[in-house]
Amino acid sequence: MRVRPSGATVVGFALALAALVAIGGCATARGGSPGSVPAPTRAVLPNGVVVITQEHRASDVVALELWVRAGGRDEAPDEGGLSHFLEHMLFKGTATRPPGSIDRMIEGVGGTSNAFTSYDYTHYDIVVPAGEVRAGIELLADIAVNASFPQSELDRERQVLFEEIGLLQDDPEKYLVRRLYEVAYGDHPYGRPLLPSREQITSLTRERLAAYYRKHYVAPNMTLVVIGAVAPDRVRALVDQTFGRLPRAPAGRPRVAVAPPFGAPPRADVRRPEKQAYLALGWMTTPISGEDLFAVDLLTYILGDSPSSRLNQAVRERERLVYAIESGYGAWEKGGLVTVTARLEPQHLDAAERAILDVIRRVKAEGVTEAERQRAIVTAESSYAFDIETAEGLAKSYGQAESIWSLDQELAYLARLRQVTAAQIQAAARRYFADDNYARVRFVPESAR
Amino acid sequence: VIRSGLAALLVALLLGPAAAGAGAKDVHRERLPNGFTVIVRENPLAPVVAVSLLVAMGTRWERPETAGLSNFVHAVMVKGTMRRTGAEIAETVAALGGKMSASGDVDYSEVRGTALARFWRELLGLTAELALEPRLAPKDVDDERDYVLSRVQRRADNPAARAFDELYRALYGAHPYALPTLGTLDALKRFDHAAVGAHYRAFYRPDRMVLAVSGQVASAEVLAEASRLFGGMPAAASTRDPAIASPVARGARIVVEQAAQQAQILVGALAPPMDHPDHAPVKVLATVLGGGMAGRLFAELRDRRGLAYTATAYYDPVREPGALVLYLGTAPDNAERAEQALAGEVARIRDERVGADDLARAKGYLLGRYTMDRRTNERQAWSLAFYDLMGVGTGYPEQYRRAVDAVTAADVERVARRYLDTPTTVIVRPPVR
Repeated sequence: MRVRPSGATVVGFALALAALVAIGGCATARGGSPGSVPAPTRAVLPNGVVVITQEHRASDVVALELWVRAGGRDEAPDEGGLSHFLEHMLFKGTATRPPGSIDRMIEGVGGTSNAFTSYDYTHYDIVVPAGEVRAGIELLADIAVNASFPQSELDRERQVLFEEIGLLQDDPEKYLVRRLYEVAYGDHPYGRPLLPSREQITSLTRERLAAYYRKHYVAPNMTLVVIGAVAPDRVRALVDQTFGRLPRAPAGRPRVAVAPPFGAPPRADVRRPEKQAYLALGWMTTPISGEDLFAVDLLTYILGDSPSSRLNQAVRERERLVYAIESGYGAWEKGGLVTVTARLEPQHLDAAERAILDVIRRVKAEGVTEAERQRAIVTAESSYAFDIETAEGLAKSYGQAESIWSLDQELAYLARLRQVTAAQIQAAARRYFADDNYARVRFVPESAR
Repeated sequence: VIRSGLAALLVALLLGPAAAGAGAKDVHRERLPNGFTVIVRENPLAPVVAVSLLVAMGTRWERPETAGLSNFVHAVMVKGTMRRTGAEIAETVAALGGKMSASGDVDYSEVRGTALARFWRELLGLTAELALEPRLAPKDVDDERDYVLSRVQRRADNPAARAFDELYRALYGAHPYALPTLGTLDALKRFDHAAVGAHYRAFYRPDRMVLAVSGQVASAEVLAEASRLFGGMPAAASTRDPAIASPVARGARIVVEQAAQQAQILVGALAPPMDHPDHAPVKVLATVLGGGMAGRLFAELRDRRGLAYTATAYYDPVREPGALVLYLGTAPDNAERAEQALAGEVARIRDERVGADDLARAKGYLLGRYTMDRRTNERQAWSLAFYDLMGVGTGYPEQYRRAVDAVTAADVERVARRYLDTPTTVIVRPPVR
């Protein structure tokens, strides 16, 4: 469902994923926190920076996340992947921090850092011992506007990005979803690759990178989330001394239209070296702000987000046409794509596709059961409850909500989900899941056919 | 990426083993009269619960012809019990807001589950049902075999996973850690209903099992319920696992061609088991080399030379001799330089004593991750059960912390020379055009 990134497959060493591009199911939304954690507070600084804090004393750490409303969708057509390149460069140094010193500082205190680029935003996350909260906030405020992009670092990072392209292409499950987004969104900004092309990597200049950074990394585009074993008053004082001093600037973001329904069904077949085939189907549904968000979310769960789901039971267990199958809902600010992905033998590609469509047709014709609706809701509740366990689990959902939705809606999410009826779920299936107009990407083994 | 057998362990423990409970006062341990061990950790933070049932059963007890049998038994176990079909199990779990799965690993097999805390009793009951009343039906054995075979193929298709499998095979030779936890195509094809049942019965004995529960629960209630569910298992005569001959480092360079965008370069060496005095120094050694983004492999080979995207090193705690592994994923054109650079880092750590800053960074990182990794109930339950099953005791986390703290630059130099003496290199790369 929307609240969980689809496909919980671990695809890399956690440490090495310094610049993983988050995609394929937008991440967590959240309901009222039922645990022993106080509610978050939200404040807007005079320069427009939003600050969300929450005390979380489960362990002696603090999660600090800087969310910036700049991502793949903000790039001009000839700037594809610039947001991602920028993300790689931000931890490389500032006017006062030489290359390498940021990683050493964070890891020397036992902390971790990571960063993610997506369509609507880019975020920079660190987790450090609570005693380092000042150092952490100062660091994020520094990289937010003072990144120095040393030429030598930029040149070296080109090689790293080449490597990242290779890594992505060698991972069929991840690459499949990425290709499906490109195919399904087509000319819409969400259809652009989040990774720059080899040509763009080679030709990017420091000036162009810096210009993009100065344009988008401005106070009104930023949200700072601080969750951990720290009193909110102390956080606020530290933030006022750092983020509070960032210059006021206009937020000028390029306008992006909501992704339109498909014209002709977008399709792509890709020849691959693996022996197994991969199938991805996608339906354009509602963006995160749409009224149908909740019904589509529950529908996605019922279709394919657990071993008990309809697709798993029908296509994997009964018909035995796929080895693995799941659905996901990427609800973004300007578009919402429901995906169904499967791993299977190449000779089953056609039959599996028909079986998936049959499952969807049945939901449209007969609706879902009350038991299914209940299971979907309790799963959402559980997913929120587990997020309370770690400071960064909460920080991520708040940062994302503030960036593409709103914190209030995030907090009301679960209550809203509970109001959705089985009839509304069926109606959403009928509204969005056309029998023949869906996006499709197939990875076909070179050895097949 | 990654070896799926060692995978759970590897992913989970790349950052160091998880510690036991937040404080001893929150953790209650009881050994039932039949030898079954129950551990409960009360954690009021979030309204959730996690269960980990570990059994001393896994690759360590397998041979080439039974490779993957422990994992396979667990794959079949979740397909049905005497009371429920696979579909009914899946629905029951989902209705608890839960997840359940089972798999084999190198030193243990695990049935694990999570749920909303208010359903802890149902979760525990379902765990017991899967573990004690599996149906292991002939049809489930045949059906599940296809799925596991498909996963073996998927691993073979994945260059990084392939590279790890090749490395472990070369490093461990005749030792069972050489075998893939998922099994091999040959072995899997031979597993029948009888073999699955026999393997299950040989290992599912109360003295080989540890159940750990962590979450918003009351210890007394959980202990009573666990005792009711598992206390009835008949006690078996205690068996001691026969010792396994230690693997011998030979040092080799193996090149495998496989179509892909990236080349995989692994350098591995045999290292001590988790209860060895050199365990902590080798953990620090691995962290200096490849722990985090300030680790030498990342800082030197990726950041300074752009020779890789993935650049890391790890050393997992295991019962038998472990493996210290350095790993790079790189463009085929860079492979030769990357291999040389990796060899250069091995030589450097052996020849040059690590500086105070490097050492402090590595220890800070190692212990920081150790703390961070133990924050979720799922990790807590697993680690409580794991340390107990490994026989290192509940005091292990504190001992481990102290041992890491005490590691000196001379210790790192000594273990680098000792264990990185004859490393094995595995390269998986696309055919040269």
